[in-house]
Amino acid sequence: MPRTILKIENLKTYFNTWAGVVQAVDGVSLEVKKGETLGLVGESGSGKTVTSLSVLRIVPRPGKIIDGRIMFKDEDLLRKTEKEMQKIRGAQIALIFQDPSTSLNPIFSIESQLIEVIQQHQKLNKEEAKEKAEILLDIVGIPDAKLRIKDFPHQFSGGMKQRVAIARALSCEPSLLFADEPTTNLDVTIQAQILDLMRDLKSKFDMSMVLITHNMGIVAEMADRVTVMYAGRVCETSSVNDIFLHATHPYTVALMRAIPQIGTEKQKLQVIPGNIPNLINPPSGCRFHPRCKYAKSICKMKVPELEKVEKGHLTACLRWDEIKKTLLKERERAA
Amino acid sequence: MKELPKNVVLEVEHLKKLFPVFEKGILFSHQTGSIHACDNVSFKVEKGKTLGLVGESGSGKTTLAKTILYLFHPTSGQVFFEGIDVFKTFRSKNKQDILSLRRKMQYIFQDPYSSLNPRMTVADIIMEPYQIHRHIPKKEWPIRMYELLRLVGLEDYHSERYPHEFSGGQRQRVCIARALAVEPEFLIADEPVSSLDVSIRAQILNLLGDLQSKFNLTYIYISHDLSTVRHICDEVAVMYLGRIVELAEVNELFESPRHPYTKALISAVPTSKPGQKSNRIILPGEVPSPINPPLYCRFYPRCKYHIPICKKKDPKLEEILNKHYVSCFRGKEKLD
Amino acid sequence: MSKDHTKKEMTKKAVKTSKPISQWGIAWKRFKKNKAALAGLFIEGIILFMAIFGPFIAPYPPNDISAFMEGRTREAPSWDHLMGTDYTGHDVFSQIIYGAAPALQVGVGAAVFSMVIAVLVGSIAGYYGGKIDTILMRFSEVFLVMPAFLFLIVLLKVAMTITVAGFGLGLTILVLGILGWAGDSRAIRAEFLKLKEYEFVTAAKCLGASNRRIIFKHILPNVLHLIIVLITSSIAINVILEAGLSFLGFSDPNIITWGRMIAYSLEAIRGAWWQGVFPGLAIVVTVLGFNILGDGLRDALDPRLRE
Repeated sequence: MPRTILKIENLKTYFNTWAGVVQAVDGVSLEVKKGETLGLVGESGSGKTVTSLSVLRIVPRPGKIIDGRIMFKDEDLLRKTEKEMQKIRGAQIALIFQDPSTSLNPIFSIESQLIEVIQQHQKLNKEEAKEKAEILLDIVGIPDAKLRIKDFPHQFSGGMKQRVAIARALSCEPSLLFADEPTTNLDVTIQAQILDLMRDLKSKFDMSMVLITHNMGIVAEMADRVTVMYAGRVCETSSVNDIFLHATHPYTVALMRAIPQIGTEKQKLQVIPGNIPNLINPPSGCRFHPRCKYAKSICKMKVPELEKVEKGHLTACLRWDEIKKTLLKERERAA
Repeated sequence: MKELPKNVVLEVEHLKKLFPVFEKGILFSHQTGSIHACDNVSFKVEKGKTLGLVGESGSGKTTLAKTILYLFHPTSGQVFFEGIDVFKTFRSKNKQDILSLRRKMQYIFQDPYSSLNPRMTVADIIMEPYQIHRHIPKKEWPIRMYELLRLVGLEDYHSERYPHEFSGGQRQRVCIARALAVEPEFLIADEPVSSLDVSIRAQILNLLGDLQSKFNLTYIYISHDLSTVRHICDEVAVMYLGRIVELAEVNELFESPRHPYTKALISAVPTSKPGQKSNRIILPGEVPSPINPPLYCRFYPRCKYHIPICKKKDPKLEEILNKHYVSCFRGKEKLD
Repeated sequence: MSKDHTKKEMTKKAVKTSKPISQWGIAWKRFKKNKAALAGLFIEGIILFMAIFGPFIAPYPPNDISAFMEGRTREAPSWDHLMGTDYTGHDVFSQIIYGAAPALQVGVGAAVFSMVIAVLVGSIAGYYGGKIDTILMRFSEVFLVMPAFLFLIVLLKVAMTITVAGFGLGLTILVLGILGWAGDSRAIRAEFLKLKEYEFVTAAKCLGASNRRIIFKHILPNVLHLIIVLITSSIAINVILEAGLSFLGFSDPNIITWGRMIAYSLEAIRGAWWQGVFPGLAIVVTVLGFNILGDGLRDALDPRLRE
């Protein structure tokens, strides 16, 4: 039985803007088991990035964590002081951002940026830290690491920058890595390189990983379990196989059907009608109900809780039982 | 005028676009080289069909598209649209001819956030083409505008709103409506869905498909996302470093790609089936700089199938099967 | 199907009740929340009121020296003379009210005049680029490196010797305007350079829009917010410059200005502090008002602060 490394319970992070309160994360619960990769899937505004920032307690102003518990190795991160958090950030929980060109500081060399992080958390002198930095660059597959370590970020291509960012994230051998859309800005062939690298490193460093993405293909390839988010809430959590084969939440199902597959021929795609809701004034009840083809009047009134479909498979839909039967029939008809 | 083969609306011949690279001196700057953004590209598009242009960033797909519409000035080559020499018309400075050509060919941009003027209402944006071309009487403008709004799936009351009040998908609909206002025959859609959310992409792709069959439009669809290409294109051209390396009918290309780069590109797309590990071809290295590229095969440094001739000569785009063009010395072989 | 339809109707109604807001509307909403900026607006409102209705609200006419007749020169502030009197018996409070009009006229006039030049030069240089850009920018650099204040003094001195009698405010406005456009034109050029690469400009080109249409309909409205901010801060600078010039005596002696009032007060700065302090305060408050107003506008109009 794998131990849980991170458990988020009922997390609420709101942003107080001039236009009103944005309920970016509204009651999110999820867990990451030791050694696994959790795919955190959602569209823009689903709250997946804010969730990861909340765990590290680096939500930008005017965002604020209102409520909830974030248990990391059985300690509540929300009760820690800022000083204690600094020791956790980077050392135990690391973060890779979407855009490698802005996550590296352009005015410092790669060497000094890596050394800075290493020395912050480990008692090493400059020489040792430098040696370690070189080893790290070598591990992430930067050719001629010894020479290139003196270079500045702008001298690297996008893929190479992401490798450097990964090296920096791994420098203190964290036990949990958040990767926020790490390949979205990269080309497909480079994306393939980076994904391969991340899979290798995960086992090499014995890490758990939260992979934030909107790309179902990446999820299928990388994740062990998947949590799907929509409009600041969790819709469904299950193993990767269940998500792709037996999804029960209407949003997950619709999302899968709306994605073009490379293996199929020219045809019309199924669409999810409507738009992503505004989180200042979100729909009442289930936030997906205005776009849901199975919605009934109860969906407007009652906020669905995560319910157990089967072991390890939770869904936040009031009518999942009925929908599951309908979907089964639909799948049978299709087959 | 040029007689084009039957059904062909657009013909591009040996199109070349170089961007000069300057180095600054004390007083004057001098040219030190050129970016070969688009180098000796030729293809044809048939009426009512969609040609997909696929490639990674820096492969020159957007430059190619913008040069066809004379938004960049071509270095050399020719483009014929319905027999009209496009570049000659634009260079002629004959306002009437230019406007009538502009009406026929339109462009849809990647980023629906920067492609709408934030200070104009949707009604102003969609009616601007009417002001420029005056192809319909003024009293019909609002009627046509509302027709277009409904056609792209927006509602009447949206017309008085400003772009910032819309989501990305809705903005892209406005962009499509604006492009349709001139009643074009040919549309270039440059990554029209890549900045949209997954659940919105399908809406826009279906809309483009519907419009195509309704108005018999011809498309060039530019994308780096191969799965959407497979869904909406009839023919696909794969670009690498400013060149077309493979051009074929869509199913032919996806099922039996011949160029090593196409193979790697297709295999690199993550498949949405868990547990199914693809036999992915990982290309070593990265796309080289397009400044002064080598005179031999441009894919040679990353290609594992290379033979001595690859480093000596530049391969030509040749038809190896019926309507299947490959630019590779080993294109006729079946490589694994 | 019908259920689907009603759902659509409902969302339509929900959205429809909210009125469309332009970006100017959003800016005003944001501006209203900024207390300091509102204070700036309020101060300038008072100054403007003084400038327009001065003759009606000032307790004494501009040339009234009745106090002099009564021997009440250099009198400390009292209920008769709220800010005291100067050495010829003028009421300082009234003079400050009369001084508002020329200060605003020169400040606003010169700012608008220099902005017209700045917009013309900046937009042409930014939009067309190339050689035109290089030439115009070198030209603007000439104006930037020129010691403007010295130049002003020389120009006005020449003007004064030629015209002998009063030359009004026109000349000051003209000279300040000509010397003030260079910096603003570069800011506008930079904005044009950025905006002309935006896709909505390319889209307009693609539709066949002329250069004139693109500049005036597409780019300029998007630079307007910058122009407003630049004008506000340039008014503040011009008010100070005008005060400085008239303090040094380079202004029409027939026009009451705050700078001239301070200059006259110097002779008796020990005894009659009110002669110099109140006009000084007037300048400070006016300039401060424009500065915080400018800051408020900058925050309200900044397109980066969308949320």
